[in-house]
Amino acid sequence: MLAFIMRRLGILSVILFGSSFILYNMAAISGDPLADLKLSTDPNRDFLVASLTRELQLDVPPPARYFLWIKGIFGIFIGKPDFGMSRDGSTVAHSLALAIPVTIRLVLAATIFAIVLGIAIGIVTALRQYSRFDYSMTFVSFLMFSLPIFWVAVLLKEYLAISFNNFLREPKVPLGWIIGISLFSAIFWASVIGGSRKAFWTAFFSAALIAGSIVTLFSVSGWFLNPGLGPIVITAMSVGIAYGVTQLSVGLINKAALKASLTMAGLSLVFYYPAQWVFDKHPGSLPVFLMACVTITIAVFVGLSYSKIDRAPIVRTTIITAVLSAGLVVVDKFMQTWKPYMETDAINYRPVPTIGQRSDLLDTPDYWLKSLDIVTHLFLPTVALTLISFAGYIRYSRGTLLEVLNQDYIRTARAKGLTERTVIMRHAFRNTMIPLTTIMVVDFAGVIGGALITESVFGWSGMGTLFRQGLLGYDLNLLMGVFFITATLSVLANLVADLLYSALDPRIRVGGGA
Amino acid sequence: MIFKKKAAQNAEVNSSGENAIANKEIEGLSQGQIVRRRFFRHRAAVFSLGVILFIVVFVFTALDFRFLGIWHVKGWWKWSPEDIPDLRYGDCPNDTVGCPTISLLPKALGGNGIGLGDHPFGQDDIGRDFFSLVMKGTQRSLSVMVVIGFLGGTIGTIVGSISGYYRGKVDAVLMRFTDFIITIPAIIIGSVVGYHFGNLGAIFLAFYLGLFAWTGLSRLVRGEFLTLREREFVDAARVAGASNRRIIFKHILPNAVGVIIVSVTLLLSGAILLETALSYIGFGVVEPDVSLGLLINKYQDSFTTRPWLFWYPGLFIISIALSINFIGDGLRDAFDPRQRRRISKKERQESASARKLAQAHD
Amino acid sequence: MKLNRNAKYAFAVAAAAALAVSLLTPAQAATRSTVILHETNPITGLNCSLSATNSTTCSAVSYLQGAGFNYYNNKKELVKNTIFGSYKITKKSATDFRVQYTVNPGRVWSDGTPIDGVDLLLSHVLGSDAYSIAAGLGDPKSKTAKPAFNGLGYSGVYADNIVGEPVLSADKMSVTLQYKKPIANWDLYGPGPAAVHTLVLMADGKTSLQTAAVNQDAKDRFLAAFKAKDTALLKKMGKIWSEDYTITTVDSKTNPLLLVSNGGFILDSAVAKTSVTLVKNPKYNSGPAMSGTIDKVVFKFIGDGTAAAQALANGELDVYAGQATADGVAKLKAISAVNLVGVNNVAYEHWDLHYDTVPDEAPYTGLFSVKDGAKSLALRKAFLLAIPRNEIMEKLIAPINGVTTPIQSTWVSPGSATYDKVTAANGSAFYSRGTQETRNASALALVQKYYPNALKQPLKVRVLVPGNNPRRASEFALAKANMAKVGFELVGDVRTDWPSKLGNSDYDAYFFAWVASSVTQRQSAEVFDTNGGNNILGYSNPAVDGIISTLDVPMSDSLLAAKYIQIERLTNADAVTIGVFVHPGVVAVNKDLKNVKPAPLSPQMVWNYWEWTY
Repeated sequence: MLAFIMRRLGILSVILFGSSFILYNMAAISGDPLADLKLSTDPNRDFLVASLTRELQLDVPPPARYFLWIKGIFGIFIGKPDFGMSRDGSTVAHSLALAIPVTIRLVLAATIFAIVLGIAIGIVTALRQYSRFDYSMTFVSFLMFSLPIFWVAVLLKEYLAISFNNFLREPKVPLGWIIGISLFSAIFWASVIGGSRKAFWTAFFSAALIAGSIVTLFSVSGWFLNPGLGPIVITAMSVGIAYGVTQLSVGLINKAALKASLTMAGLSLVFYYPAQWVFDKHPGSLPVFLMACVTITIAVFVGLSYSKIDRAPIVRTTIITAVLSAGLVVVDKFMQTWKPYMETDAINYRPVPTIGQRSDLLDTPDYWLKSLDIVTHLFLPTVALTLISFAGYIRYSRGTLLEVLNQDYIRTARAKGLTERTVIMRHAFRNTMIPLTTIMVVDFAGVIGGALITESVFGWSGMGTLFRQGLLGYDLNLLMGVFFITATLSVLANLVADLLYSALDPRIRVGGGA
Repeated sequence: MIFKKKAAQNAEVNSSGENAIANKEIEGLSQGQIVRRRFFRHRAAVFSLGVILFIVVFVFTALDFRFLGIWHVKGWWKWSPEDIPDLRYGDCPNDTVGCPTISLLPKALGGNGIGLGDHPFGQDDIGRDFFSLVMKGTQRSLSVMVVIGFLGGTIGTIVGSISGYYRGKVDAVLMRFTDFIITIPAIIIGSVVGYHFGNLGAIFLAFYLGLFAWTGLSRLVRGEFLTLREREFVDAARVAGASNRRIIFKHILPNAVGVIIVSVTLLLSGAILLETALSYIGFGVVEPDVSLGLLINKYQDSFTTRPWLFWYPGLFIISIALSINFIGDGLRDAFDPRQRRRISKKERQESASARKLAQAHD
Repeated sequence: MKLNRNAKYAFAVAAAAALAVSLLTPAQAATRSTVILHETNPITGLNCSLSATNSTTCSAVSYLQGAGFNYYNNKKELVKNTIFGSYKITKKSATDFRVQYTVNPGRVWSDGTPIDGVDLLLSHVLGSDAYSIAAGLGDPKSKTAKPAFNGLGYSGVYADNIVGEPVLSADKMSVTLQYKKPIANWDLYGPGPAAVHTLVLMADGKTSLQTAAVNQDAKDRFLAAFKAKDTALLKKMGKIWSEDYTITTVDSKTNPLLLVSNGGFILDSAVAKTSVTLVKNPKYNSGPAMSGTIDKVVFKFIGDGTAAAQALANGELDVYAGQATADGVAKLKAISAVNLVGVNNVAYEHWDLHYDTVPDEAPYTGLFSVKDGAKSLALRKAFLLAIPRNEIMEKLIAPINGVTTPIQSTWVSPGSATYDKVTAANGSAFYSRGTQETRNASALALVQKYYPNALKQPLKVRVLVPGNNPRRASEFALAKANMAKVGFELVGDVRTDWPSKLGNSDYDAYFFAWVASSVTQRQSAEVFDTNGGNNILGYSNPAVDGIISTLDVPMSDSLLAAKYIQIERLTNADAVTIGVFVHPGVVAVNKDLKNVKPAPLSPQMVWNYWEWTY
């Protein structure tokens, strides 16, 4: 095994060497750095040309220049790789160090949302194959998949940012919208729940009524200007979460798990006010993290105290419930911050931004304002990226689950009388995740270098921007720096995917082929 | 009404059963016939196929067609992208120029009657007929798509099947070569080609993109071959003395064709988007050549002012990508012999009662 | 189960809403004091004189932070900044030309250090090749080694003409420069102030602001080093100057010595590739007093034009500046809270015809070669006549800025004082009289004189078409359509690497834009001079060369205009080039922000920042 990995790593470095050589030479002939100067009428143009030639070592032929570059990279073996200088005078390593976190921040949330949403919808569509829901989700996902990202960005900015901010000036939802939203959620929930005609119409009308009344309430109460959940709603939602999580993970039949989860839901009410105190008196990421740890610890204890046998699934259920309920408390805190945030000078009642990573004017020490600012700036790019990428996950998970459901072991599971929930969640879902996991690994590596257009339309400066700058600005060191990171990640991810696949699926032997 | 249909569908699905051998429905049919039958049952896919065929015929007959200067077919549309007719001034909304003359509202309802007019999709800045531009752009984009799909599909299938079938050294070499190609961003090639041969046109662009688009497919095909080559029918063929080539192409490949077709359709719809993305960065199709990607890039700003310049090319991109995806979906279902299976309510109840029974025995 | 949950949800929300109390009324926002400006390209450093950092954005950012002896206003005039100091010619003869620059007393840097003549001396180090070599700082022209001050100022007009070193007056408030002859536009090449004491302090390794005495001492040490050509200290300063200013992140950890300046604003913070924030400089007294209410300026870098326009519509920007498109302008017009200001850029679009072989290229023997005498002249004239300049203006430029008349001169730009006078007499009327139909008719007559069959067998003209530029693609399409009417068939070669193809003998015609980033007497001389650096046509006319050689001495505007007229008469008669339009730019400004007057020349829209107000 170890020998296999070492061998693969050895081959990978040879591959990287080869492709970087080719790439360097390609990039070197992909443009003329002196082109701009050729159009200049400056009197000292010749000097400028000479100085740029000296700066970029243009008189050294590209293949030879490549070895000057790779010499710095080989420093990696003595722990000091040198990526060289970028044309703008900064070191490439520094630019990369600034860009990588930005890109990760940009794509992380979107990728997670896309995966969770995509898999959830994919599973439902597989279970309801050829239903209206299946068809409409397939349509929607393909539609999103077919849209160019800059197009999506233009539309989202127009409607979710500019129009929504205008709406906030007088946040009264017009009647037409209320009806539209009600109808939409009615159709959505009715198709998801499905079942008999009676069930369908019950779901339809209840969903319409609930959605309609919520929107109306929001509208008349000015909720959009001063949102919040409050302890009561949080408790109610936590109870719902407790039921839902228990049902999905171990089934409501497992009373111990249900009790433990409900206890955690109740605790979210008990700890609501203490949590507020911590949020206000000790703002910061560390206290939030510590509170998360405390929550999980309590959940473990509660889970253990309720369970006698089969503890692991119960504790797991309790933890999930606890984390989700605690999440609601944090969401509530963000909602409370919404009003002061809108009232700041920097925001001035236009809270949804179309561009940038943070507000340049928001000059505040307040942790929650700053965090909310980051969240609002992440909002549109995350929606855009999620929309265009979740289609892939829907298709993958739907296809894989359909395939798995036809396997003999599923038939065996059914035959021995397991509940449908157990069959789907325990047997089918887990096996569906095997190929999906490997896809995710490769995807994660891909997105680090891949959000070029998204970064550009939302004014973020991450790896995509560096790549573009390197390519269009004829900045070879920078370009190669970005390439080095993304290419290494992508070949490593492929290796990890192969290993993971064999680890998760015992039928596949590593090293069998290579 | 809806429910009746659904019930009928349920019944049909249930009757098809799980086991292909026991399936009366497909008894005595060749695989091709089975696939065709199943495909034609997928309504969305059939509809999409119709849409694509319509678009192809509609678009390729609209403009004059010249082939190497010998073959010249007259198009049915009156303008060509080279013509510069008079620009429509004055009577357009919001002081714009060159608005579309298409009208779908009958006179009786206060519209201008149903008709295309001179420039149904409007005109661009200098007065060129936008309909003809969209037609030419769609032609180009479709060609790009086909070239990328064909090249990527062929290379991917060949590399993947050889690699998966022979395993060992051949596999190692081919897969590392695939890794090598994966690491090279197509966009760099795009910039080099764009810089030095920017005027070679859309097909050339498609050609080199195709040379880099096969990696994902080859990995999939390889995986499929790795499993299939261990199956009994391959052993049987080998024992019967079939050559490797025959086993690969006659025995294994037909069984892997589902995977291939599905990924190729994804590749096709991906190709049209890739071309659009390249246009955004400036490495795509270069004017005076036209492509849908180029058009919607050029008229991004027109979204609120001259929306027709933004929506019409977009509409074609979406229709094509959407149809291709649905066709792929239909093909996927059609090729999977186990695919016609769903959990019916009856089964759920059966399983529940079985459970109760099991509990009772506890 | 879902329903169950929804029901609970609804109940809970209803309860919460019942509990919810305060209905909000949006408060009126206080008067703003911040301006957020849009720039397409990010700054790459704080010192704009390096090849790594040189950009218009950098010039704009540093303009807010620094005041010198003069600046360009929005009419392309060089305005003297008399609050900072004054300058005058003290001696003028054919071989001795002296200018004295005096700093007004009491001017201070943002750290409180007084500004004096010593601060003007660094300009000499940065501009004179001779000084750099003599002081052991390296030969700027060397192909291998960088000079200590690795700037872009060397080998220019200043280096070619300066005699000796600047002389500091006894009170240290003025310096006198001596040139070997009177030079045109001498006021452009004068010194600018630089906070030399900070360079010395940083060379010493200091990382915080120092006391007045230490600062003064540092300044004296620089003066001594400058006079004695102290290589060691100057080299250390050069390293700081060349390397330490290439930062794009500024925060509390940044060395404050890097940020010392004398402009109305000082740098407060910067986020790499994203934004730069400047705040009011409380000690500012080097330029016009700040009359407005602005106390913070943010530059926000957004590369995507559509994104920037939407950000403006969403109130995230106060000033948008960008490449204009018809739709972009219409869209900006539709934003009610915004005023649109048109602005001319410094680039002007023109068509050029190949005249003769350019040095180092294959021999040019095409359609327009001067070797064909009268025939090629007639063809060149016909070609220029048949360029549908009015149609190009109406369809491509007018939707942006309403301008419908093409430019008639490639030496003076529309709007400048002598434009009307020059264009009335420079022979451009030949190409613009009548309508396009009548011009087409005369063009056709010229062509048919030599090629009677031209309409049936059109003459192929090979045109280099710049790639990736929608406007130029449209321009070419219009030209191609009209040229077909006079017997020319344009064969376009679309290339993204077009700048390196200029002058190539494979083409008969080019169209693109020259960029003139300053206003000098020589103006377009490099294009038409036989040995000019921008002569891509192989154009050579001894009479033109003769007039160009007289442009190097200072002269009055009317004399200059007369010379331009003479040159343009000759070039128009030779039919080698014709201007079409000045590249239009667009600036959209928040309606509440007053006095933003965008200018074509650097520093563009920020030139009068002290007048800005809400």
